[in-house]
Order: sequence, then structure tokens, then C-alpha cells
Amino acid sequence: MTEDRNPLDHAIAAAASGSWEWDIGLDRLWIDERFAELYGLDATQTRTPLPTSTFFLRIHRDDKTRMRIAVAGMLGGSENFSKEFRIQVPDGSIRWMHGRGQTILGVKDEPLRFTGLLVDVTDRKRAEERLRIAQKAGGIGAFEYIDGFAAVTVSEEFCRLLGLLPAPALPVPTINRLVTQGYGPLIPEQIGDEDAELAGEFLVTRSDDAQPRWIARRGEIIREGTAGGYRLVGVIYDISAAKAAERELRELNETLEDRVQSEIDERLGAQAALRQSQKMEAVGQLTGGVAHDFNNVLQVIGGNLQLLAGDVAGNLRAQQRLQTATAAVARGSRLASQLLAFGRRQPLAPKVINLGRLIRGVDDMLRRALGEGVEIETIISGGLWNTLVDVVQVENALLNLAINARDAMDGQGNLTIEVGNAFLDDRYAARHAQVDPGQYVVIAVTDTGCGIPAEIIEQVFEPFFTTKPEGQGTGLGLSMVYGFVKQSGGHVKIYSEFGQGTTVRIYLPRTRELEDVEVDTEAGPITGGTETVLVVEDDEQVRGTVIDLISELGYRVLKAKDVQSALAVLETGISIDLIFTDVVMPGQVRSTELARQARERLPNAAVLFTSGYTENSIVHGGRLDEGVELLSKPYTREALAQKIRQVLRKRGLPASSAARQQAAATEPTGSPLRMRVLLVEDELMIRLSTVDILEKLGHAVSEAANATQALELLNKDTFDVIIADVSLPGMRGDELAARAISLQPQLRVIFATGYGLPPTGAQDALRRAVTLQKPYGEHNIVDALKTATSVQPLQ
Amino acid sequence: MNPEILLDELERDALTEIVNIGVSRAAANLRKMVGQQVLLSVPSIDIVSQTRAARLIGEREVSKLVAVRQDFKGAFSGRALLIFPHEKSLELVRAVTRDELNAAELVEMEHEALTETGNIILNSCLATMANMLRQSLTMTIPVVIRGDSATLFEVWRDAPADAPVLFLYIDFTVRDRNISGYIAMLMNIPSLVAVKELIAAFIERVVGSDD
Amino acid sequence: MAVTVLIVDDSKLARIVANKALLALQPEWQRVEAGSAAQALEVISKQQVDIALIDFNMAEKDGLELAAELRQTYPELPIAIITANIQDEIIARARAINAAFVSKPITKEGLDGFVSGAALRLRSKNP
Repeated sequence: MTEDRNPLDHAIAAAASGSWEWDIGLDRLWIDERFAELYGLDATQTRTPLPTSTFFLRIHRDDKTRMRIAVAGMLGGSENFSKEFRIQVPDGSIRWMHGRGQTILGVKDEPLRFTGLLVDVTDRKRAEERLRIAQKAGGIGAFEYIDGFAAVTVSEEFCRLLGLLPAPALPVPTINRLVTQGYGPLIPEQIGDEDAELAGEFLVTRSDDAQPRWIARRGEIIREGTAGGYRLVGVIYDISAAKAAERELRELNETLEDRVQSEIDERLGAQAALRQSQKMEAVGQLTGGVAHDFNNVLQVIGGNLQLLAGDVAGNLRAQQRLQTATAAVARGSRLASQLLAFGRRQPLAPKVINLGRLIRGVDDMLRRALGEGVEIETIISGGLWNTLVDVVQVENALLNLAINARDAMDGQGNLTIEVGNAFLDDRYAARHAQVDPGQYVVIAVTDTGCGIPAEIIEQVFEPFFTTKPEGQGTGLGLSMVYGFVKQSGGHVKIYSEFGQGTTVRIYLPRTRELEDVEVDTEAGPITGGTETVLVVEDDEQVRGTVIDLISELGYRVLKAKDVQSALAVLETGISIDLIFTDVVMPGQVRSTELARQARERLPNAAVLFTSGYTENSIVHGGRLDEGVELLSKPYTREALAQKIRQVLRKRGLPASSAARQQAAATEPTGSPLRMRVLLVEDELMIRLSTVDILEKLGHAVSEAANATQALELLNKDTFDVIIADVSLPGMRGDELAARAISLQPQLRVIFATGYGLPPTGAQDALRRAVTLQKPYGEHNIVDALKTATSVQPLQ
Repeated sequence: MNPEILLDELERDALTEIVNIGVSRAAANLRKMVGQQVLLSVPSIDIVSQTRAARLIGEREVSKLVAVRQDFKGAFSGRALLIFPHEKSLELVRAVTRDELNAAELVEMEHEALTETGNIILNSCLATMANMLRQSLTMTIPVVIRGDSATLFEVWRDAPADAPVLFLYIDFTVRDRNISGYIAMLMNIPSLVAVKELIAAFIERVVGSDD
Repeated sequence: MAVTVLIVDDSKLARIVANKALLALQPEWQRVEAGSAAQALEVISKQQVDIALIDFNMAEKDGLELAAELRQTYPELPIAIITANIQDEIIARARAINAAFVSKPITKEGLDGFVSGAALRLRSKNP
């Protein structure tokens, strides 16, 4: 007839039940012994008609009305009676009862009798209560489904777990459609004959917030009778957190090996790189130090040899011996230079050269480096353009490439070096990053070696990348080549066929300037002078030699063994024309400070630095900024004489053009107008020399070492042009320029930069700013000023 | 929502019983029509706001439904629906025509049969409830509609926006025939006080003068 | 004597069911159908009808209205109102016009009472 929906009801059958029969027509109640027992009624009340009010006799006052209503329903024709109620028996105790009954209808569907069973469920009620609390606390939702029905009996927690509004029953589709496709129904409407359990996990989408959750289902299939009917009794609970953790763990496990491996690789790689770079650093320092000392020694030898030349004049054999010795010194100095380059202590000193001539010059060196198994062929195009590049670096690059080639060929093969003109067009430039279209001189080094496989060809320029076994090669060669080429505004490209050979092409930008011909230092008139030179050198022998050399040239020489002493000399007020100082000096005060102080006291004094070992104090970005005079050790007497004259000339004194070293194709025309220039440059030497140039050109210059000073000046005076270094301490050059323009809109902007890229800015003035590439010379400044002032001012 | 107009436990019990009686009668009639066992669930009754009713309906939304709809008016007004998943409707028709029609006739009779079945079930249910409350209701002619929940449970235009809704859900099954469906009743209760009074009167009749 | 029963119901199914029940109870009686009150009036104007089974819930004119009308013309006609709408009021109204009330669904047993009574009345009129 009717099915009881209480999930635990199948337990009721086990308990002994009392029974009743309510005759509706006669309005009489019959009860049995157990019923009487449960109600605490006397046995005499059994099996005899009782007033129907007896049914309600023991019912607890709080449940009485509810029960009357329920019974009324039955008497009215309702089919289901399944109620729990409390009864209070004579001894005062309260028990929970569960009554299950049905109405028997007559032919006209009129209710005739209301019969049922009564069971004591006090214990079960308590257990249920505990269970309900536990389920609610544990987030467990209970359900019971009787097959064939359209709805499932559920607990509130069940509804909540699925994001549904709490209801005592839910339609099966309402529940099942929350389950993601592929997981099967949460409430199956059909079960297989073998299925016994309801265990399962489902990915559901909550009804209220559409959040995905993992829901576990556990329960039992209770089969009823032989007709195939069944009941599903079970619970669900949320396992999303566990699932997430599970997945994470699985992913971690899967990738654990990989991650450990990559972690190891990274460490190893980092360690290797660190070792390598430390090695490099150490070696660099070592070689740098050695080279420096070596240079000093060479200086002494060379210098004395020079002096000796005068003493052995007339003695032919002695002179020959002297020449040999001098040549050896020259070679030694070249070696030192290479060592310095290796230790990266050599500043780039670009010169306009003809690569053809250079390549012919290194032919000898290459043959020695490559050994006899390698055939070298050199092809130099006619009409070769000039290029502006550091000679030593080109030689190094060639050496590196040659050695790589030799190794690739295993000491046996052909090496071809070609030099020619090339034009890189817009299409080429578009295809290659950081390449400007234009005219280039290209050096191509080709070998017949094993070639480079396509997979690693991208990496060959990376520092520390080497295919040579451990211990052979540093992996730095190609990266140095790359660095130097890029620094020189060029481009390098590798072509390789694995098993066939490799070609490395170095493109260096063409320069239209005339070649800086190295004046043959062995010959030519040596010009001296009568100015006063202050020599500052801590090495006694070197100092001695230098003093002799300079005195011989006719100059009046003062000496100091360190900066302090030099300053003392300055203090005396003696007039000095040139300070000749080693850059690296012991003691607290640096030579640059000396130079600055000298400038202050003696504005007309020139400063010439010398060093075998340059430091950042006068080198900017690896390149020697022009304007800072440096004479590298070791130098010949001729070189010294010429340099001194050059430096003295640059002070503004008229000079003969014979020893003009800066190969200017055109004389700087100079700006017709006298302009008020504000120079902002933090590098002392550069600033000093630039001021010099500007004043020589006839402009009024104010200088500032940083942005703050610059702004102060901008607030006091009016200027026409501002030349600002892009990388200033504290404020970027372009920022300063922007501020400057807002203060003085008529200002033209020139940016001085060592990096090639002008700063960009939103303002027009910045966009129209002129770039002055370091190292710049007088003519560069002139050009820049001209360009800057040809642009209409912003008003 | 004003708690005063909600039903208290006793009133809910009483209303449940009244619905039970009505649905029992309907089930008995369905039994007669199909000649087989019909099982009923305990009705779930709730008075909710229209918003919540809409949500409850939305949750029970099944995509394709067939339903017989009957509106009623009186001391309380509303809409009763006898709903089947559409794939079950033909099965019901076969059941109520006692397997006497062939396939073609079945399809022809489907609309007919559904209407009549719905008529009997909904009428007996509503009429019984009306009798219990000693009221009379006017019923409309039942109508078969197909669609989703939105179509079936359209909110009536004459219901004030804030009027609460009695949401009743009871499901039944004809086991051997694999037919199941549910009866849903939406009642707008413009004056819940009036209904509460009716229920109170019912309770009193039933409970009598008691301790 | 041939007895003709008029079955008035807008539901074909209901008419079929009523037919079946009648057939089981009184196989020799004639049965004629009408799908609405209007149709019923037309039928009865054209032929002899001895008993009427009228569905209450019909469009346009409901069964009670039709029954009342018929009662005017045919004061002795045994009429049963057939409906699932078992509201007390409906039952009372049926009684008021001297019509029987048979609840739907019609079964042999349910109809038996009315049919027996009607048959008796008819025989008494035509001995």
C-alpha cells in the first residue's frame, strides 16, 4: 500500500509492535497486548471495544493536536499514516512511538477501518538525532530512493551540499542534472543485478553558485522482494579538498623527477658558470696584473733602449742590436695588450682603419696560431671601404675565429679570410634584430671543418658555451667577438653545414673618414717643447726613465712620486703646463682628483694620463672617451713626444697640423653663433675635455656634474643648448631634459650616450633631440650643435 | 517575508493532511483507472516567496515535460499541475485505456486521455481539499501543456508581486507500468489570514474541545 | 423494451469508459453519445432517450446546467451527474434537481447503484 519513507525504517520490523484497529463506523478502538503494554494500559483493555479517544489517551500534550489532525486525515480518506509521537505513561516517563497505519475503504471509497502498528522508537530517535547532528556537522547528506518513484527523500544537508534549497524530497532529475557529463547519475534509476554498493565519486556543479565540487557517494542497494524492486539508501559528502590535494600530489609526483632533475641541472649550470666566471675573473685579474707589471717593465726597457739609441749613435752593430731589442719590446707590448684584452681591461680605442691592411698585418700571427696543417688564404677586395674599429679587438676576433676553425678542422684543412664591401638593405635589416641597413665592410672567415649542427647554432655566441671538451677553451671567444662587433655598431652572422664547414661573417659599419694612419713611430721628426711638465709616477724606475725621456725632449720636468706630493708641487704656485700622471697610483687620493684640483688651480694645464692598466675612472663603457688623453704603456719616445705635443696643443694654443691625429675629413666649421651651452656630465674627464672643445669652438659653457646642479643653473641663467649625458646619477638624462625644456622652452637638446640608443620621450623636444654618440670628438660636437640648432624651437 | 503570515507547525500539519486526503482520493481514482498499484510520497509543502518559488521550480526543472493544468478560484486560488516527463506520458495513456488501443489509436487518444486523466486526478484532489475546508472552488477546464518548467509555472498576472506562494510537491508512481510523475500546486494566497482561519476551523472540527 | 442511454461528456475517453461500464452492466441497452450540452439537446430532440449520464465539467454549459434544463422538459428522466469534482456543493446541487451523483472514474461497481435504480424506475413506468 503505502511505503514508509523513513530511511532507517527497515529496523522497525525487528522491534515488537503493538497493533490497533479503529472502526470508523462504530467509532470504536480495539488494541492488543503489546499496544496496551506500550501505552501502560491494563491487559483488560485488550480485545474489547474501547472509545476511540483511548488512542489519544497517553499522547503527550505537545503532540496531541498534531496527532488528532493526522488521524482526521485518515478518517477523511487519507491513505498514509506514519507518525512519530511521544507518549507519557503513568509512571511519568516519556517514550517516542512510531505509528504506521492505513485505511481500509469500502466499495464507495468510504473509509471503514483505520488499522496500524505501534513501535517504541525511543532509542532509535536518539540515535537518529545524533546521526542527524553528526551528519550536519560532518557535512554528510543522507538520501533514500525507492525505485520507480520520481523523487528522492533527502536530508537538508544533502540539499545544501548540492547548493539546492532544503526540501524533504527532490526530483531525481533535479539532482542528476547537477552531475558533469560522463560521471553517471548520482541517483541511478536503474541498477544492475550484480550491483550491491553505491560507492562512487562525482564531479558536480552546485546549483546556487555553479561552483564545481567533488562529491562522494556511499550506500547500499536494498532489494525488496522478487519483483526487482529496490531501495537505495546512502549518503553523500564533499571531497573537493581531498581531490584537489590528490591531484596536486599526483602532479607533484609526476613532475618530481623532472623537477629534481631540472633543479640539479640548474645548480650545476649555475655552479659551472660561477666557477667559469670566477676562473675568468681570477685569470683576468692575474693577467691584468701581470700585464700591467709587464708593461711597466717594458716601459723601462723600452725607454732605456730609446735613450741608449742616442748613446750608441755611430756604432752600427750596437744600433742593430738596439733595434732588435726595441722590436722585441714592441712585440712584448702587443702580447701584453692581448692579455689585457683577455682580462677585458683593454678599453676600446676605435680608429679608422682599412681592414685589408690589418688582415695582411696579422697574417703572420695567424699562421703561427693555426699550425702547419691549416692552409690560409686571404682575399681582399679592391676599393675596400674604411671602418671605425678598435684594432686590437679585430685582431683578437680574427684570432678567436681562426682558432675555432683550426679546432673544427682538427688541425687539417683550409681557412679562407675574405674582406670586402657589403650593403645590408632594408629587407635584411628587417629580418635581423638590431641591424641598421647601410654600408658595411665584411670579414668572412671560412673553414672546412665539422660544422655546427643547426640546433646549437643559435647558442654559439653565448658566454661559456663551448663544444670543446672541458679544459679546452673558455667558451668566451665567440662571445667576445660578438660583444666587440656589437659595440662597434656591427653585425655578425654564422652559416654552417654540419659536416661541411662554417663561415663567420663580421659586418663592420663603413666610415667615410680617412684612415688613422699609425704614424710610424720609428721614424719622423720628434718635436719637443719648452713647457713645464709635472711627472707623477710611483714606480721609481719608470719615473726615472720617463723624466729622462721628457727632459730629452726639451721640457722642464718636475717630479712627484704620488698624488700628495704632486699636489704639494701645485701648491707652490709654480706654473705647470702639463701634468703627466699614471692613472693607478697608490695612496688615498686618486689621480683623477689630482687632475681636478690641477684644473682648479691651473686652468690652462693639460693632463695626460698613462697606464698599462686602465680603470673605470677614465674608461666609460669599455671605450675610452675622447677628450681624455691616455697614453698606453709601453710607449715609444716618439709616441710620448707626439702625445705631449698633441695634448699641449689642445689646450687652445696654436699648433702645427703635422701631428694632428684626429683624422677629420673636414675641418669642423664651427657654429657661426656663440651659444650658451649647458653641459651636464658626471664623468669628470669627459666633462673637462668637452668643455674644452666647446670653449675652443667659441661657445659659453656652463657645466654641471649632475641633474641637481643642472637645474640650479637652469634656474639662474638662460641657455641655448643643453648637452646631457643620458645616464646621470639620480635622474635620467631624458628626464632632466624634459624638466629643462619646461623651464626654458627655447632650449635645444643634445643627448650624449655611450649606448647607441637615444632616449625616447613623449615630448616633441625630446623626439627632436640630437644624439651625440660617445666617444665623440670635436667634429661630432660641431655636427650635433648644427643639427640641434637647425630645428625650429618650440614656442 | 512577514513571519505572521507563514504557517506554524500545526497549520502546516493540518494543511498537509488536507492535501493528503485529496491526493489519496486522486490516487485511489488513478488506481481504478489503471487497475494497478499506485504509490504516493508524503507531500512536501512550503509557503515561500515568489522568488524562492521560482528557484524551487527552477531546481526541479526538467527539460521536457507534459502536464495537465487546472486553475482554481475561491477562498484560495491557484494552479494545479499533473506533470510527467514527456517520455512517460504515452505509457500513462496506455495504462488508462487498459491496453485496448492499438498504437495509432494511442497516439490519437494521447491528448484526450491525458486531459481526462488529469481532470480526474486534479479534480478529486482539489475537490476533496475544498470539502475538508468547507469551501467551494471553481475549476477551469483542464488543459494539456508541453514545455519546460518556465512554461508550466508561469506566474499569473493577477497575483500581487509580494504575495507568498504555497509550493506543494507530491510524487506518485505506477510501479508496474514504470510511470511516475508529480503533482505540483501553486497557490497565491492573497489573504493568508482567510486560509489560516479555514485551517483553524478544520483543526477545531477535528480536534474538538480538548484538554 | 429498448433502453437508450445518452452519454454526455466532452472527453472521448470518458465516453468510452462509460460505455464499457454500461455494457458490462446492461449489455442489451442502447448507447448514444454527445460531446457537449448543445449536441446533447440536439440528440434528445431527435430520438428517444431513457437515461442520461452527464459530465459536470464541460465548456460553455456545464453538466448541472444541462441537467436542470432537461429536468424541465423531462421531469421523470433518470439523470446522473458524472464527475471527479466531488465537492459537497456539486453533490448538493445534483440532488436539488433530483439527479444522482456518480464520481469518476466510472467503474462497473460505481455505476451499478444508479443503473439498477434507473432500470427499476423505467420498469415501473412500463410494466
